[in-house]
Amino acid sequence: MRIVIGEGSCGIAAGALKVHSAIDAFANSDIQIGITGCIGMCFLEPIVDIYEENELKARLVKVKESDAQNIVNAVKENNLSLVDYLKISDEDNSFLTQQTRIALRNCGIADPENIESYKEKGGYEALKKVLTSMTPEEVIEEIKTSGLAGRGGAGFPTWFKWNAARQSDGDEKYLICNADEGDPGAFMDRAVIESDPHNLIEGMLIAAYAIGAKYAYVYVRAEYPLAIVRLGKAIEDATKENLLGENILGTSFSCTLRIKAGAGAFVCGEETALIESLEGKRGMPRLKPPFPAQKGYENKPSNINNVETFANVPWIILNSGKAFASMGTETSKGTKVFALTGKIRRGGLVEIPMGLTLRDVIFNIGGGIRNNKKFKAVQLGGPSGGCIPEALLDTVIDYKALSATGAIMGSGGMVVMDEDTCMVNMARFFLDFTTKESCGKCVHCRIGTKRLFEILTRITDGKGKEGDIELLEELCDSVKSGALCGLGQTAPNPVLTTIKYFRNEYEAHINEGRCPAGECAALRKYVIDETKCRGCTLCAKKCPVNAISGSVKQAHKIDTNKCIKCGLCKSNCKFDAIEVK
Amino acid sequence: MNEKINITINGKAITADKGETILNIASANGIEIPNLCYLKHLSPYGACGMCVVEAKGSPKLLRACSAVAADGMEIETNSERAVKTRKAALELLMSDHDGDCKGPCTLNCPAHTDCQGYLAKIAENDMEGAVKIIKEKVPLPAAIGRVCPHPCETACRRTHVEEALSIAALKAFAADEVRKSGKSVLPEIKKNSGKSVGIIGGGPAGLSAAYYLAENGHKVTVYDKMPKMGGMLRYGIPEYRLPKAILDCEIEEIKSLGVDFRNNVMIGKDITLEEIRNSHDAVLIANGAWKSTAIRCKGEDLEGVFGGIDFLREVALGNKPEIGEKTAIVGGGNTAMDACRTAKRLGANEVSVIYRRTRNEMPAEDIEIEEATEEGVIFRFLTNPDEIIGENGKVKAVRLQVMELGEPDEKGRRSPVPVDGEFITLELDSIIIAAGQRNDSFGFEEMPVTKKGTIIADEKSFATSLDGVFAAGDCVNNGASIAIEAIAKANNAAKAINAYLNGVEVSFREPVLSEREVTKEMFEGKEKQSRVKMPTRPADERSKDFGEVNLGLTREEAINEAKRCLSCGCHDYGNCKLIKYADDYCVDCKKYAGENHPAFTETKLQVIERNQNKCILCSLCVRECEDTAKKGILGLVGRGFDTVIKPEFRDSEVIKDCVSCRKCVDACPTGSLRFIQK
Repeated sequence: MRIVIGEGSCGIAAGALKVHSAIDAFANSDIQIGITGCIGMCFLEPIVDIYEENELKARLVKVKESDAQNIVNAVKENNLSLVDYLKISDEDNSFLTQQTRIALRNCGIADPENIESYKEKGGYEALKKVLTSMTPEEVIEEIKTSGLAGRGGAGFPTWFKWNAARQSDGDEKYLICNADEGDPGAFMDRAVIESDPHNLIEGMLIAAYAIGAKYAYVYVRAEYPLAIVRLGKAIEDATKENLLGENILGTSFSCTLRIKAGAGAFVCGEETALIESLEGKRGMPRLKPPFPAQKGYENKPSNINNVETFANVPWIILNSGKAFASMGTETSKGTKVFALTGKIRRGGLVEIPMGLTLRDVIFNIGGGIRNNKKFKAVQLGGPSGGCIPEALLDTVIDYKALSATGAIMGSGGMVVMDEDTCMVNMARFFLDFTTKESCGKCVHCRIGTKRLFEILTRITDGKGKEGDIELLEELCDSVKSGALCGLGQTAPNPVLTTIKYFRNEYEAHINEGRCPAGECAALRKYVIDETKCRGCTLCAKKCPVNAISGSVKQAHKIDTNKCIKCGLCKSNCKFDAIEVK
Repeated sequence: MNEKINITINGKAITADKGETILNIASANGIEIPNLCYLKHLSPYGACGMCVVEAKGSPKLLRACSAVAADGMEIETNSERAVKTRKAALELLMSDHDGDCKGPCTLNCPAHTDCQGYLAKIAENDMEGAVKIIKEKVPLPAAIGRVCPHPCETACRRTHVEEALSIAALKAFAADEVRKSGKSVLPEIKKNSGKSVGIIGGGPAGLSAAYYLAENGHKVTVYDKMPKMGGMLRYGIPEYRLPKAILDCEIEEIKSLGVDFRNNVMIGKDITLEEIRNSHDAVLIANGAWKSTAIRCKGEDLEGVFGGIDFLREVALGNKPEIGEKTAIVGGGNTAMDACRTAKRLGANEVSVIYRRTRNEMPAEDIEIEEATEEGVIFRFLTNPDEIIGENGKVKAVRLQVMELGEPDEKGRRSPVPVDGEFITLELDSIIIAAGQRNDSFGFEEMPVTKKGTIIADEKSFATSLDGVFAAGDCVNNGASIAIEAIAKANNAAKAINAYLNGVEVSFREPVLSEREVTKEMFEGKEKQSRVKMPTRPADERSKDFGEVNLGLTREEAINEAKRCLSCGCHDYGNCKLIKYADDYCVDCKKYAGENHPAFTETKLQVIERNQNKCILCSLCVRECEDTAKKGILGLVGRGFDTVIKPEFRDSEVIKDCVSCRKCVDACPTGSLRFIQK
């Protein structure tokens, strides 16, 4: 039997390395111990799998160092009942069983640091097939059949971009992988690179062959150190096996692959800003046209795709474009990976066929809202996306259907919010992000997002003015139509969708000085329920500004003018007598 | 031969070279598309978002600077969406633009006289140049320089350092110098338009309008009921403040433009409005406010009771009103000061000013109050006439109610309240009521008037209810104000009339301008230089005659005083593309008011001053330095809202790298960069 420890960033953060050393300490040399990447069940990390040959015998979750001896003993004694208490529940396991995994097919299964492990799963077979039996045009045709669209957010047909780059004049062409995943709450690409780097390399090689690129770059954010290390090793191993470099697999196709670590600017996820950064310049978007397919990196024809897009390519080549296109809806084919986060019971990576509803993902796969709270909204597409309210939860996951709500498919961030989330504050959070991440080049984004943020801030501070909602809407419209790149053009989406679906919350802040979710501190009002208060005086003693008065054994009162809304009274009250209004 | 394409821009069919951008095609065909970050010899950049245009069928706006026109394209440059987007860009830029287009002096002057401009000329000892600038707004500079209560000085930022500049006195100085040298600064008269304008009233408003209408080639006739032109400047301002010989010269200059003056003509008596209308293509009513306001006090009809302006007019006409030994003037404004000092000069022994508030609340100018005090005028504050007591139908005394200050009103001015039962009686031979002016609609019966009796005219177009009849100055709407206000209105009315005569209608609005909010702290460290003091004749000497009180400044004093100007207004206002567009699009500069850019001024580049407060980050300077000058000294630093343009990476080497080629300065669309003389 073999012990495999999940060591993606999420597992490591949860303590996987400590578990690994503890297991090492107990095991002797005849027990095989391996690693794998992220299976996508962040809520259960650290995860340890026990395999017999290639068969998964047990999946152990929330493993602690103290469980190491039991795990080793269970394997040694071939008695898995010793670790029954760690086994994943059927309910939790349904998080995985309800998924269809293509891009993530090897994640949490293969060893990301071992090329053989990838090959065992059929790795590099697609590349061989392409190099030995397909013309570049045939490859593009196959991708066209698959209906694969860019998974970075915009959803542009992949074959079209490949074809444009292929058709562009010039014998020096570049292929670039955009791994500058920057949306708050999104970690799909990180998981693919950390868990299955060869899949990305293979997908890129096929694309390079299709467009005729000899040079390929992976632009990955420096905040993903583990991904960079594992991808580096994968490139090294692939090069050794002549899967990269000159005359790959003995054919006339040559391609080198290099990693470029981005310095952490969100806007560098925008393709033209990424190219500028790749060239060593300040990361600011260029005007389009010309598009990268005509003039990209070093003004040469270039094609840029996102990690997840490439991760689907080997599967499509091996299983046919038709098979891929058989999944999904009329306009959106195949599967999509989402990073499910927020107030969700089971958060992690979810890959599902297009066409499922948001409700399927959030309630069936994600298990609904944590702590029995009520669902309020889900934010799709990060700062560029929008929120979708409960009434639209049956919207199917499809580029068109999601856009119709005002949100976007996006790169896959899916942040779930419950009743305690203030939607104005949520919009403010995203605008804070875009304001800071704006490159500063164009007026509408540089100043417009700042002003949107300021107006939202005054609303959450209880200083909103009549007409602010209309002012926000007007400015949002202008920023959308005036900003230079996608970052600015989509930055107003969180504001527009929250106004569209939660206008009443904006109005409550402005007109009534009330935050319905009780999240905005400036609008919170602490009140003592006189029927519950026993006059223990504890709250008055704890209050840092002496805002609470009352005699012993008499109901106390809070002077709302003095109250600084720190919440100390509430957290100290033993009788649950303090309410927030 | 280049391949051709056919497109339409704003419905106009255009054939153009394939591969050209929309912006270039439009500009070659005389269609202007606004832009702030584009120069033809540099690659399109796309920052300002001003050149956005609509292309039929395209879901997004296109940036005309970079979008290459395709055959069959239908472009709309001013679609609603494009205009809104542009306007938002401008409003956002203005929300982060911390500069003064014009100095506060100019803005606070009702006529928006370019004070900074003429002060600079005076500082350069170019008096003719100064008068030329003044006369763009004020055709009577020597007179106005003497009588104006100078709102310009009230706004002067030099007060944050020590004291305001003596702007009005400098204006008078420049005009006096030119006059004394025997020269006249006169405008170039445009070609005869063949149209004629009748102006009713030859005061500051009527004369100013006459000046500007004559300049535009119209035949102007001024009708005035008084024997000489000048209106209140002549009949309301005493000789000791404005010698009439000086006023005569300035009026003579206006006459020399071909203006026909007709005095002793009273509307409704000597001629009717209808007759004037019939003999001119347009008429301007600017007949002022010539009636003294009554205070509704018992005894006001007694002999020996004079209205303030009536009294001053009589004196100006050369008559000697019988005021006796003891007189009192009721009121605290400039007319009251003129009256009391005139009374003194007429020989009255005891001249009192009766004012119901205290000195602090007096609307008269401080200098007037000071000089009156020096001349022996007695101020009786916190008193108010209760009854003018007569004997044989003649004034004998006045009973004064003693007042105290009560609660402040909404303007913060404390209102006077009577102290119950406390009265003072003052023996008098006469009393002059200087409590304000009002209008007389005699002769204008066919025109609708306000409750105050003023003629109703549109505030923006100056049009009245009668076609071709305009009205401006003290006789309109809100009634009497200061001379420069009447001049300001008359200037705009002249423009409106000029437009009317050319068959177009105009509506005036204030131009869109950027204004800074300043604090005293911003001026810390400025070298202090006290305000020049106007020398005057000694009080006991001057109070005996009507000779001018002020002795005037020396040339050296004037030049030094002018050099105190802080030059608050932007050096580049006339060339600034940003403010031009902001005005074109009528933007609201405060719409998106919020935090401002991290701002600084530096002169590291030796000959170029960079004022970050006015930078719009168009990056033209960066690109000129990099692409044209091949120096690459400037770059963008920081991210998001805090992005600034600075010498990039190598601060210390900047000085030796800059070759002072000025390309950055010339490319800057705002006043952010300027060449400094060393």
